[in-house]
Amino acid sequence: MTTQTSPAFPGATGLLGTAGLQAAAVAAGLAVSASASWPETDSDAEVPPLAGFIDSLFSPLIAEVAGRALSRREEGRREEGFPRDQAAPDGAVIAIVLVTAHGDVASAAQVAARVDAGRRVPPLHFFQSVPNAVAGYLAARWQLTGPIVCVSGITPAMDAVALLIEDADADEALIVSVDLGLTGGAGDRAAAVIVTGPTGRPEAERHGPEGAA
Amino acid sequence: MTGGTPTARRGPGSVVVTGAGAASAYGRGAEALLSGVLSGEPAFAPVERFGTANRRVHVAAAMPGSPDLLTEVAQAAREACDDAALPAAGRARSPLFLAIHGDPALARAADADEPGLGPDAFTAAVAGRSGLAGQGLRCYMSACVSASTAIADAAASIARGQADRVVVAGGYLVEPDQFALFDAGRVLAADGQVRPFSAGRRGLLLGDGVGAVVVESQESARARQAPVLARLAGWGRTGDAFHPVQPHPEGRGLARAVTAALQRAGLAGADLGYINAHGSGSPHSDPAEASALWLALGEAAGTVPVSSTKSLHGQALEASGVLELIVTMLAARKGMLPVNAGFLGVDEECRLALVLGDALATTPQYAMSLNAAFGGANTALVVGLP
Repeated sequence: MTTQTSPAFPGATGLLGTAGLQAAAVAAGLAVSASASWPETDSDAEVPPLAGFIDSLFSPLIAEVAGRALSRREEGRREEGFPRDQAAPDGAVIAIVLVTAHGDVASAAQVAARVDAGRRVPPLHFFQSVPNAVAGYLAARWQLTGPIVCVSGITPAMDAVALLIEDADADEALIVSVDLGLTGGAGDRAAAVIVTGPTGRPEAERHGPEGAA
Repeated sequence: MTGGTPTARRGPGSVVVTGAGAASAYGRGAEALLSGVLSGEPAFAPVERFGTANRRVHVAAAMPGSPDLLTEVAQAAREACDDAALPAAGRARSPLFLAIHGDPALARAADADEPGLGPDAFTAAVAGRSGLAGQGLRCYMSACVSASTAIADAAASIARGQADRVVVAGGYLVEPDQFALFDAGRVLAADGQVRPFSAGRRGLLLGDGVGAVVVESQESARARQAPVLARLAGWGRTGDAFHPVQPHPEGRGLARAVTAALQRAGLAGADLGYINAHGSGSPHSDPAEASALWLALGEAAGTVPVSSTKSLHGQALEASGVLELIVTMLAARKGMLPVNAGFLGVDEECRLALVLGDALATTPQYAMSLNAAFGGANTALVVGLP
C-alpha cells in the first residue's frame, strides 16, 4: 500500500490503509473505535455488488468497508454491554466523511465516453454521479444522521471531523478513504475508521426522540 | 434540545464575510449577479455551448461561449479578495476551500496523465492563479452542499480561533456530461422554467455558477479596517438518514440543520427576514423543504419571505452554496429580496410566504441560505447585516 503526499495537501492520499487513517485520526485528537479495509485478507477477491450502483467499484468499495467498520463498532458496543438497537444504534449522531483523491473516475470516464459517442447515459449513472449517493445509502442503512462531507485529503477530513464533534454536529464520524486504481482497475482499495472525540456527548445524553424542531 | 439531537455549539469568535466575487449567466462580477437576480428575469435559454440533440431538455442558464472553469473560479477569488481590500501578502496567507465536482479534465484524460490531475491539483492551480496560500488547501466534492459545507467549516474553524481567514470558492459551468446525467435522470424541467414551490413545477435546470467569499474573523477584519459585507452568524449541517438520493419527505434533516444554524446565531425563526431556499423546483424536494421550515420555524414559516433564486440563475450544483449565499448577502444589503420566479399557482404542500411578482423592498437584519443534496445532506447558513 502506497501513500502519496504533497506539501499543499498534507495527508493527501492516493491509497491509504487503516493504519494511515488511524494515525491521522490520532494526530487530530480523535480516538478510533473501529476500522476496516479492502482487501483485508486473501478471500477479499471480488467486491460485493451494491444494488443500484453499476459499472464502477467506487460505491461498492465504500459500502463494503463502511459496513464492516460499522458492524465492528456495533459488535464492540455489545461486548461492552450496550443493547442491540436498530435505529441510530445508541442515539449517537454519526457523520459520514468520504475521502478520495480522484473520485469515481470509472463512472466519470464511462459517462464521458457515452457523451462523446452521442449515446444516451444510463439513468443509474445519474444517481451515482456524486459520492453523496452511497453516503446516503449508508446513512439510511445505519441511521447515520450527522453531516455528509466528501473531501480530497485525509488531514482536512480529520480536521473537519474534530470540529464537527467539538461543535456537537456529530458525536462520532465514519471516515472512508477510497480510490480506484487509475489504470485498468488495479489497486482499487478502501479503508474506513470510526472515530470519537474527547468532547462528544456523554452516553446518557444521546438517548431520546429525534428533535426535529 | 435534548435526546437524539445535540445542541449546536460554536467557538466564541465572531465571523464575517469581507468580500465576494461571482460569475453566472448574468455575467461576470457579483454586482452583475445581483442586478440580474433582482431583474426578476430568469436567465434560461437554449444551450449553445454543446449539442443537446439526444437530450429531452435543451435549456440552461449559461454565459456566452465556453468559459474555462479554472479561469473563472480564479477570477472570482481575485474579485472577492479585491472586494475585501485584501493585499497580496494577506492573500498569500489565506487558504482556499474549493467546491467543485472534480477535475474537469480527468474523465477524458489519457492514463499517463491521470496521476497529475484531480481535485487537489485543480485546487492548487486555482490558489496559485489567485495569489492564495499554497498550504492548507481543501477540495469539497459533496454534491450540492459542497460550497455551503466549506463555508460552514471555514466559519467553525475561524470561530474556534483555528484560522483568521479562509477564501471559499465554488464553481460549476454547464457542460455536456452533467447535462446528460441530469437529463437521463429525468429531473430537468421540460417546460424550460424552474418553478420552486409552485403548482405545476417540472424540475430543475442547470446554470453556470461561480462564486467566492472571503470568510474572516471579526478581529482580523477590524485590525485591517476591512469592509464587512455581512456577519456569518450561524451554520448547520445534517444528514437525513433516509435514502441515497431522495430527501426525507418531512424534511427532518433539513429542519435540524436550520435549528442548529439558528442556535449558533442565537436567533429565533421569527428573527429571519429572508430565506433563500434550496428550492430546486423538483416535485418531491420542495414539499420536503417547506415541511422542514414549518418544523424548524413554527408559525414564522408562514411569514418569513422566501424565494429560491435557482428559479433565476439555475442550479449550480457544487457551487450553489456560495453563489446563493452571495445573492442572499447582497440582496439583504440592497434591501431588495429576489422574486421566486416561474410561479404558476399555490401548491398546498408548499405553503410559504413566497416573494412573488416583483422583488420585495425590505431590509432583513438576518437572512438564511439553504442547500440540500443527494444523500440527504443538508446545510443552513445564517447571515446578519453588519
